[in-house]
Amino acid sequence: MFSFTIRSFFQKLATLFFISIVSFLVVYLAPGEPSQIDPLNPKFTAEDLARFRAEFNLDKPLHVQYYLFYKNLFTGELKSWKDNQPVLGKVKERFMNSLWLFIIGTLITWCLSFPVGISAAIKRGSFFDRSTTFVAYVLISIPSFFFAYILIDFVVKTFSISVIGMQTFGMQSASPVYQVMDRIWHMVIPSILGALGGIALLSRYVRAQMLEVIHQDYIRTAKAKGLSEDMVNYKHGFRNALLPFVTMFGLILPGLIGGSVIIESIFAWPGMGRMGFEAILARDYPIILTINFIAAVLVLIGTFISDLLYMVVDPRIRL
Amino acid sequence: MLTKKILIFLPVLIFVILLQSFFWAPTYDEQVRGNPHRLEEFITASSGDAKILNPVLNADSASSTIVGQVFDGMIDRDEELKFRGRLATGWDIYEEAYFYINPEATIDGKRMAGPEEIKELILARRGKGIIRDSSLQDALSNIKNIEIIHAQTSERDIQLPGPDQNGDGLPDAVTVRVRLAPPPRLKITLKSVDQDFFKYLEGILGKGYFETFPSDRYAEILTKGQEDKLSVTAREVLPAIEHNPVILFRLREGVRFHDGHEFDAGDVRFTYQSIMDTRNLSPRIPDYEPVKRLEVMDKHTVRIVYKRLYSPAFGTWGMGILPEHLLNAEALRKEAEAKGSDPDTFTMRDSDFNRRPVGTGPFVFREWKSDQYIALDRNEDYWEGPPNYRRYTYRIVPDLLTQEMEFYGGAIDDYGVQPHQVARLKNDPRYQHFSSLSFGYSYIGYNMRRELFRDKRVRKALGMAIDTDKIIKYVMYDQAERITGPFVKQTDYYDKSIKPLPYDPEGALNLLHEAGWKKNSDGMLEKDGKIFAFTLITNNGNPIRKNILTIAQDAWKKIGIDVKTDLVEWAVFIGKYVNTGKFDALVLGWSMGIDPDLYQIWHSSQTNENQLNFAGFVNKEADDLIIKIRQEYDFDKQVAYSHKLHRIIADEQPYTFLFVRKATAILDKKIVIREYSESGEEIIRRISPTKTGNYTYYFNKWIKLATSPEFDTE
Repeated sequence: MFSFTIRSFFQKLATLFFISIVSFLVVYLAPGEPSQIDPLNPKFTAEDLARFRAEFNLDKPLHVQYYLFYKNLFTGELKSWKDNQPVLGKVKERFMNSLWLFIIGTLITWCLSFPVGISAAIKRGSFFDRSTTFVAYVLISIPSFFFAYILIDFVVKTFSISVIGMQTFGMQSASPVYQVMDRIWHMVIPSILGALGGIALLSRYVRAQMLEVIHQDYIRTAKAKGLSEDMVNYKHGFRNALLPFVTMFGLILPGLIGGSVIIESIFAWPGMGRMGFEAILARDYPIILTINFIAAVLVLIGTFISDLLYMVVDPRIRL
Repeated sequence: MLTKKILIFLPVLIFVILLQSFFWAPTYDEQVRGNPHRLEEFITASSGDAKILNPVLNADSASSTIVGQVFDGMIDRDEELKFRGRLATGWDIYEEAYFYINPEATIDGKRMAGPEEIKELILARRGKGIIRDSSLQDALSNIKNIEIIHAQTSERDIQLPGPDQNGDGLPDAVTVRVRLAPPPRLKITLKSVDQDFFKYLEGILGKGYFETFPSDRYAEILTKGQEDKLSVTAREVLPAIEHNPVILFRLREGVRFHDGHEFDAGDVRFTYQSIMDTRNLSPRIPDYEPVKRLEVMDKHTVRIVYKRLYSPAFGTWGMGILPEHLLNAEALRKEAEAKGSDPDTFTMRDSDFNRRPVGTGPFVFREWKSDQYIALDRNEDYWEGPPNYRRYTYRIVPDLLTQEMEFYGGAIDDYGVQPHQVARLKNDPRYQHFSSLSFGYSYIGYNMRRELFRDKRVRKALGMAIDTDKIIKYVMYDQAERITGPFVKQTDYYDKSIKPLPYDPEGALNLLHEAGWKKNSDGMLEKDGKIFAFTLITNNGNPIRKNILTIAQDAWKKIGIDVKTDLVEWAVFIGKYVNTGKFDALVLGWSMGIDPDLYQIWHSSQTNENQLNFAGFVNKEADDLIIKIRQEYDFDKQVAYSHKLHRIIADEQPYTFLFVRKATAILDKKIVIREYSESGEEIIRRISPTKTGNYTYYFNKWIKLATSPEFDTE
C-alpha cells in the first residue's frame, strides 16, 4: 500500500506538470488580449501599451513567461492584472466563501440521495418510486439557472426576504448570532439549488446499486434466515451497495470550483466560480491560470483519495 | 435499526438547521430583526460604480450622486427651482460696463468730447429727469458710479486663428504680439445687469457712437508678416463696449470641512483654479471659461467678474467646493513624494483624494469597496444640522432583476424602477411612490437641410400623423407626459398655454396637399414625380426608441409616406449620422438643465459638423431670443423671452416633440420625514414631493420607522 501511494503520488505530479503546460498554452495562445492592453482603447498611446506589456511580462518569449508565471505563483508574488491584488489572497478569500456553499450542498446531496434512492429501490414500482424517477428526470433535464430564478422570485415575493449575496446587506452592525443565522439563511437556497442536480443523479445511482444488491443470493439467504426487513436491507444490502460511492466521494472535490459558476453568478455570491468567470471576461490571465491549476490539483487529489478509500473498503483492490 | 434511523434523521436535522435560520434573517416587514440600526441607514442601489469622487472632475451619475452628499456647493435650487444659498449666504449680481471714448463721434454738435464731458453728460441726464422716455430713465437710474480709466501703453501676445498646419481641418492658433495705446475708457457700475444698457446710452451719445469706434487706430501689430490681421486683432483686444457682470458671494461663516478645517473664500478660489488648471482635464472648463477673474475680498467674500453677459454662469456655482488645504500644490507634492511619483506630473487626478473625498456636505465619506458599495456617515457637524439617517450606503448591483429582488427583501430602500414595474408596484400598499417629470424629452428630429423637410407644413403634418398619446400609454405605461417645446416642463420658462399637436391624420393629409403632395395611383404621396420617402433612424439598444421608430413608420405609411427605418449602434449613430448631419430624420432625446439657455441646440451658428443643432434649425428671430435669454439676468424677462422662443419653435416644428418621461420612484412606505417642533416634539409626516416633483428634496429629514405609519388621508 505504501509503494502504491508513493507511485501514485509521482504519477499525479507528472500529470500536473503537463496540465500546467497545456492550460498555460491554451490561455496564452487564445485570441484576444487583456483589456488593459487592448489596442482598440483610444486612451492608450503606444508607450502605454508597451509599458503594460513589459509589466505583465507579455513581451518575453512564451517559455520565459511560463517560468515566471509559475515561479510567481509558488512564491505568492503573483498579482491580478485587474486590480493588482495578490492572487493567492484573493483566491483564499473566495475559496472560503465557496467552501461553505460546497459543504452544505454536498451534505444535502448525500444525505437526501441515499434515503430516497434506497426507498425507491426497496419499494420498486410503487408510486413513490415512479414519482421520484419522474422528479429526478425533471431535475436533470431542466437547467439550474431556470430553477434559480423561479425559486428566487417565489421566495422573495412570498416571504419578502433577501436571498441574494452572502448576507442581508446592512447587517454588518447586527449582533453575532443574527449575523451567523442570516448567513446560514443566505446559504439555504443556493446550496439547495446546487444540490438539486446532484440529488437527482446520485439517488438514481443509489437506486440502481441497491436494486442490483437486493437480487443477490446473500440477500435471499438473509431473508430466509428470518431476519427483519430492515436488517436485511440496511445491514446486508446497503453496506454492499455503498461500495462504488466511496470512490465517488473523492471525485466531488473539483465540483468546488466548476459546479458553482452559474449559481454563484445568479446569487451574486463572491466565490471561486464567479471569480473565474469574471476573470475570463476580463482576460485576467493570472487568476484564470491559478484557478485552473487549483482545479487540476483538486481533481488529482480527488482521484488519489478515492484510490485510497477504495483500498480501505475493498481489500480485494490491495495489490 | 441504527443505519435507517441515521439515514432519516440526518437529512431532517440538516434541513431543520438550515430552515430555522429563516426566522432570524430580517424581512421586508421586519427589517430591524437583530439589527436595530437598519432604520438609521439608507441604502440605495445603482448598476454602475462611481469613477472619481471629485466635484471638479467627475462626469458620471454615480459619482455625482455621492459627490452631492459629501460636498456642498455655493448655491442650489429650492423647492420652486429658485436659487438658494448653501455655502453662500447671499449674493449680489451687478454689472461693470466699459466703453472707450470715441474721438470720431460728435455729441450735441461737439467733436472730440473727452471722458470728463461724457461722464458729466450722462450724470446730468440721469439727475434731472428731463428725459421723457421712462425706460431710458430707468436704465440711467440703474447707474451707481462712473469712473474714468486712463490706460498705459502696453504690449501683449494674443492667439489668433491661422492657416491649418497640422492637418486636422481646423485652423491652428498663431501668436501675435500687439502694442496697445488705448484712449481713455469709462467704467460704469450698474446696480443690476442690463444687456441693453449701451443701446440706451446711444440715445444720449448719438447713434453709432460705439460702432464707429476706430479700435485699429490704437493697436499695432509687432509680429512680422501678420500686419494684415490688425483690424481683427484690434476689435478683439479693444472692444468698443464690454459688459462685465459681477457676482459677489457672501460666504457662510463657521462651516468646517469633515477634517475640521474651516471653509473660507480661499477654498472657493482654489476650486475655480483647479477647474481652469488644464492639467486637471476638468470637464467643467466650458462652464467657467467666461470668468474673467475671481477675487477674494476678505475671508468670507468672493467677487467673480465675468468677461461677458452669460446668465447660465450663476447656476454653475452649485458645484461642490474643494478643500484647498488637502489638494493645493504643496499637498499634492507631498502625496507624490510619499507615493514615489514624479511631483511634476502628479496632478489632482492622481490624488487619493478622489477615492476618499473630504467636503463640507451632510455626509462624511467612510469607505469605498469597488464594485460593492460606497458607505457614508452623517456629518454630525453639518451647518444645517445633521441628517436623520446615520448612514448612507450606495450599493452597486449591476443586475436589474437582483435590484428588484433586493428591494422586495428590504435590503435596498430605493432603486431605479422601470416603467413596467411602476405599473405593477404603484398600487401595492407596502410601498409609496412618487412620480415627477424628468428634465428631458424624446423627439423625432428632421434634417431641415433636406429639401423634403424645409416646409414647416410638412413637418407639422408628420407630427399630426403620430398618435403620441398612444405611445405614452402603451410604450411608456403612462410614465410620460406630452411636451410642446424645448424647455424643462416644470419650470416657468415652459409656456404651458401652448397646445400640443393634435392627432389628426386627415388634417395632416390636408396640410401635405397644401404643400403640394398629392396621392398617386398607388396611394403614395407624390410631388413633381417624386415619392415622399425617407429613412428614420435611431440608436440600437434603446427599446423605447425602437418602438417609437416602428410606430412612426406605421403611422406615416398610413398617410402614404414611404419610410424606411434603421437601428444603428450608438457610436456609429453619433459619429456617422448625427455629427455629420447625414440623416433624414431620427428619434432621439435630450436631457436638459434647468437653465433656459438653448444656444448649443437651437442657435443657427451651431449647425456645423459635430455641433448639436444637427437638425439645422435656422431662424433669425429665434437666434435673437436665444442670445437675449443667455444674456438676461432678470428672471421675469427671461421667462418672457423663453415663452416667445417656445412659441416660435412649437410653430416651426423642427422636431416632433413627443414626451417627457416621468421619473417614478418606489420607496419603502416606512420611510417618512421626521422633524422636531420648537418645543422639541417629534413630528412625523409623509414624504411629499415638491411642486416640481422632487421627492428627495427633504432627504436629510428622512428616517425609516419600524412599522408602516398610519397617516390621515388628506
